[in-house]
Amino acid sequence: MGDYNIFHHMPWSSAYSIYFFTIGISAALFFMSALSWYRAEFRALRASAFYLSFVLLAVSGLLLIGDLSKPARFLNTMNPAYLSFSSPLAWGALNLVAFGAVSVAYFFMMRKENEAMSRKLAVLGSLLALGLPIYTGFDLTVHQGRPVWNTPLMPILFVALSLVSGAAVASFLAGKQEKLLVMLRQIMLWSGAAVAAMLISLLGTTAYGGTGEELTFMFMTSGTLGMIFIGIGILLGTAAPILLLLAPFGRQQGGVMLAALLLLVGGMALRYSILVGGQIVQTYF
Amino acid sequence: MSETRLSSSETHGVSGKKRYAMVIDLRRCIGCDACMVACKAEFDVPVGVFRTWVPYRVVGTYPNVRKQFMPRLCNHCEDPPCVRACPVGATYVVEDGGFVLQRYERCIGCKACMASCPYNARFMLPKSRSYTDITSVVDKCTFCHHRVTQGLTPACVQTCIGRARIFGDLNDPTSEVSHLVSTLPTQVLRPEQGTKPHVYYIGLDRHNSEFGRAVYDLPEVLEQDRKAFNKNHQG
Repeated sequence: MGDYNIFHHMPWSSAYSIYFFTIGISAALFFMSALSWYRAEFRALRASAFYLSFVLLAVSGLLLIGDLSKPARFLNTMNPAYLSFSSPLAWGALNLVAFGAVSVAYFFMMRKENEAMSRKLAVLGSLLALGLPIYTGFDLTVHQGRPVWNTPLMPILFVALSLVSGAAVASFLAGKQEKLLVMLRQIMLWSGAAVAAMLISLLGTTAYGGTGEELTFMFMTSGTLGMIFIGIGILLGTAAPILLLLAPFGRQQGGVMLAALLLLVGGMALRYSILVGGQIVQTYF
Repeated sequence: MSETRLSSSETHGVSGKKRYAMVIDLRRCIGCDACMVACKAEFDVPVGVFRTWVPYRVVGTYPNVRKQFMPRLCNHCEDPPCVRACPVGATYVVEDGGFVLQRYERCIGCKACMASCPYNARFMLPKSRSYTDITSVVDKCTFCHHRVTQGLTPACVQTCIGRARIFGDLNDPTSEVSHLVSTLPTQVLRPEQGTKPHVYYIGLDRHNSEFGRAVYDLPEVLEQDRKAFNKNHQG
């Protein structure tokens, strides 16, 4: 703001973007495992995708708690006397706990080979999994003063990013299951295209917003952050893998896995740059 | 035109309820920073963070230049985004008075309130402090709630040598702040955010208070200062 100003930190550090990345993959992998009860092609992913989803859920929880300045007080988010439902974080905390509980129940039912209960828990868990990227998107959307974040696109963008990253990881678990790879390629292609369409929209509305938005656009498309957002996130991590998947090589296992790798790198870069990009200009106010 | 939406903590014009506000007359501010010092002394505010601060910008064209000061603090908004953002109710509005305060024992340090504040009024306290065990939680200006409830003015108002800061109850038509707000042109910061701030400025030029393109092309020396600050204030 001024020629002399005191300095302000970005409240949310890059650790949050790692959380967004891991929780998105965890949610999508659970969905893939749940899908195996209804689509035969996904049968090979039932156990492996679930186990990885659960590990990533645990990692995400630890990341989230570790980033609190009072980690032991994470229990406050479970205290009915404290919970404030006007905050998406409160809903997110409940969603995370419910997803964890359903995942544990799903594990036991899967081990018991109780198909009826497993199917029901798969549906319930998938709905809760869907809530995870939605709430992380809302975490950003609700901050009305933040360029890039404050758009209704954000929850949907995070759902699409979750599907892309989850399908990318699943393609490494799929091995040589041809039918499964075809399905995963389709998911990566369509959700990747959705991410690309939303990014174009996001860039357009940011560039033509108010001063704060315009400055944010300038920061996100130039310098180091420009390299991460445009270079790695959009070109290398979204456009290139979509083109690769459309090419003949993209229908082979090697092509799908290469595209998956690029999508994972791009997914992380996009989450990081969206998180950081929305905070840069505010630090000067 | 009347407002169509009232926040749950709306006290404007509610009889029997106080609505404390601060008017900052920028024509009177000389940039002595006594308000910052008084605030630091009142609350033992740690080094590197501020409940109130006084940025300036040099305006005009040589030889007619001057420093335009703009004291800043929590705006104690009528509709505070920080209260909405907190997942555990650690920040709240005092209904009678409109103070936006912090429950330190509840704060989990998720920093959602800091992310939601359009005014950068919130900061994280360091991990260790000399005279208090209130550490690693978010803190902010309280409008000196403890002084005001005893009939005193906030420390920054008390110390202001130019009487640039005036504090009082906007719901009291005889108060000085009511008189100033009703008779002089005043501005609030970032009104487009819809937060309905309780800090009013006289003589504020929004060309100087808003984001300028200069932040994209900062002087090298400011960037060096910023890097040094970030290096010395990790976590």
